[in-house]
Amino acid sequence: MEVMSSFKFRWPPRMPKWSRRERHNFRTGLLFLMPWIIGFLAFTLYPMAASFIYSFSIYHSRRPLEWVGLENYASLFSDKLFWQSLNNTLYMVAIAVPLSLLLSFICALLLNLKVRGQSIYRVIYFLPSIVPTVAGTILWLWLLNPQVGLINNLLGNLGIDGPNWFKDPDWAKPGLIMLGIWGMGGTIMIYLSSLQDVPTSLLEAAELDGASWLQRLWHITIPMVSPITLFNLITGVIAMFQYFAQAYVVGGGDNLGQPLNSTLFYSVYLYQSAFLFLKMGYASAMAWVLFIVILVCTLLLFKISERFTYYAG
Amino acid sequence: MNRYKLNIFISLLVLVSLLLASCGGGQPAGGDTDEGPAETQVLRVWIQWGDNPQQIQALFDKYGDLAGVKVEVTAPLEDDKVLPALTGSDPPDVLVMSGGDLAKSYYKEGLVDELSQVIKDGNIDMDDFFPAPLTMCQQDDLILCLPWGTDLYALFWNKDLFEAAGLDPEKPPATMEELVEYADKLTKVGADGKIEQIGFVPDQAWSHADLYVRLFGGFWYSDDGTQLTVNSQPVVDALAWQQQFYTNYGTDEVLAFSSGFGEYMSPDHPFYAGKMAMYVDGEWQTGPNFIPNFKPELNYGVTAFPPPADHPERASTIVNQGTVVVIPSGARDKVASAKLLAWMMSPEIVAEEFCFNANLPTSKKAAEDPCFEALGPKFQVFVDLMASENAFAILTTPISLELNDAFLTAEEEILHAGADPKMLLDQLQADYEVKFKEAVGQ
Repeated sequence: MEVMSSFKFRWPPRMPKWSRRERHNFRTGLLFLMPWIIGFLAFTLYPMAASFIYSFSIYHSRRPLEWVGLENYASLFSDKLFWQSLNNTLYMVAIAVPLSLLLSFICALLLNLKVRGQSIYRVIYFLPSIVPTVAGTILWLWLLNPQVGLINNLLGNLGIDGPNWFKDPDWAKPGLIMLGIWGMGGTIMIYLSSLQDVPTSLLEAAELDGASWLQRLWHITIPMVSPITLFNLITGVIAMFQYFAQAYVVGGGDNLGQPLNSTLFYSVYLYQSAFLFLKMGYASAMAWVLFIVILVCTLLLFKISERFTYYAG
Repeated sequence: MNRYKLNIFISLLVLVSLLLASCGGGQPAGGDTDEGPAETQVLRVWIQWGDNPQQIQALFDKYGDLAGVKVEVTAPLEDDKVLPALTGSDPPDVLVMSGGDLAKSYYKEGLVDELSQVIKDGNIDMDDFFPAPLTMCQQDDLILCLPWGTDLYALFWNKDLFEAAGLDPEKPPATMEELVEYADKLTKVGADGKIEQIGFVPDQAWSHADLYVRLFGGFWYSDDGTQLTVNSQPVVDALAWQQQFYTNYGTDEVLAFSSGFGEYMSPDHPFYAGKMAMYVDGEWQTGPNFIPNFKPELNYGVTAFPPPADHPERASTIVNQGTVVVIPSGARDKVASAKLLAWMMSPEIVAEEFCFNANLPTSKKAAEDPCFEALGPKFQVFVDLMASENAFAILTTPISLELNDAFLTAEEEILHAGADPKMLLDQLQADYEVKFKEAVGQ
């Protein structure tokens, strides 16, 4: 009671009164921001709010919504395809993202060496990342063709019987991971720029103290680029949860998820539910579950990263 | 209002106008615009399929000249454009879909119109339709679409490969059992265990399960469309029959071999290239855009797919599929859409369109047009099959697309991963029974 009686409501402190010039600046700033604000309201906030409402209903485009409460969310848990698509997506998040980060970092280290013709190597590694996704995927569909593909021919010359890649449910996702690694030029470049920011004074001091290349890498380079690793990790995880275009091309549009639903990723199933099966409410529920999963993963990564990320200064 | 406020107001006005302009529809399709009588009415026809867009546009230009309107044809239309168009504020005036699978789902969602009144007003002769394709569009007494062109599937065989394998090149297999034997004789496996030529691939290019299941005497819906029968014996038998073409030669080997097949519309097509001796395909293959175009010297024959040995009465079984026409419920000028639809269904227009593309007409009168005879005796095999007593349409329900997708996955698992047909189809039946009953209102 004492606590209650001691409580006193306080108004928030008043904003200092703006001068005429400040008000003018504010309005001008707002005016310049207006295109973005209108775009955000119309094309981001409104669709998000609408999809949230749809997720609790059966959506009919030309009839009123049918309110079903949590039914769409409950149905997700008994839907085998939902779990399969989630499993496929988690496989990519757990394997493709770390692998891509590791290989990007190694490539960036190599591209940071002072060797003759380095700029040409950098261009070569970066080039695949500017190939359009659809073109790149079609190219890899041919490279990994079991019968006439270059990779199986190469493996055949080494005496290895290559797998059926995109015809085999066990090998379709590794095929997509290879395609992703081929196009990781953007991540390599981000790593490369951060490697060039590692203070040479620290590396030289460690070298003078007798630290080996590996020790310098482990104790100086990796901690110094850790914020970039965190950035690449988070953007990689988010992108992988939304993995769509490559899987759509592999499925040829008509056979999404083939072979045997091994490439039915979460976003692909969401698209299929919304635009092919006309279950917009169900797809909206899927979208919100995905949003929450990505949010939780991102927050978790931020939390975990506090121990492993070094921010100079 | 001072000058500063006026500037802000005008800027906002411009921004909002731009935004509204970008969100708004295109040019109004209907003729009831207020912009004066001189404006020509524009009708938009969207077609999901279309090998010859210029020819289709030229065909509709004839209607334009006749009715004094401008007809804009968009073909081929990508599948994922259809739903946003139908749900949007400015759908096309007429939509031609590549199959009837979705017509019932779209009607259930209120996206397309029921056509009884249009048929009455346009004096469309319903007796002129071949009955099988029409059933794709019927739901009880309702007509939800009208079939425009139709496709049939039959067995193609390579006579040269038959001769090389010691088979009579003029005698295709007479039963499904004989087809298995022939396929065995026509399959060549190299010393390294790899397939060099294959006798028959049951799901070449896409699934033909509908045809095989009909040959085994059933379908995955009861004929009246009120029961889900996806685990019935004919479906199980048809999938088990298909499975042997994979298991007999090693599933991985067949998949590896078929992955090297060339593009469907290219001289590298496995049938044209002599890699595959028999396969199932449609009437268009015999027309000018396919075999005569890519491999004119190909020595081949075409015949109705053979029935099981113990059911000769199922000879000449066919399953009609093909394009259907719907009127979107949001179409601006329904009268204009109805008139255009009636014109499209006239026998002479059906004959002109489908003769050109070597597809089958849905109109009996159009089928008598001499132009179809001019397409040659192989095409005539399909024309004759249209009148078969064993002609069926692909049955559709409001959950066709979702169920078909699940069925195709099950078929893939059975054929390409050796799964047990009975077990998988029982599971499918259990998974979809409730959804099906809800969808058909039981």
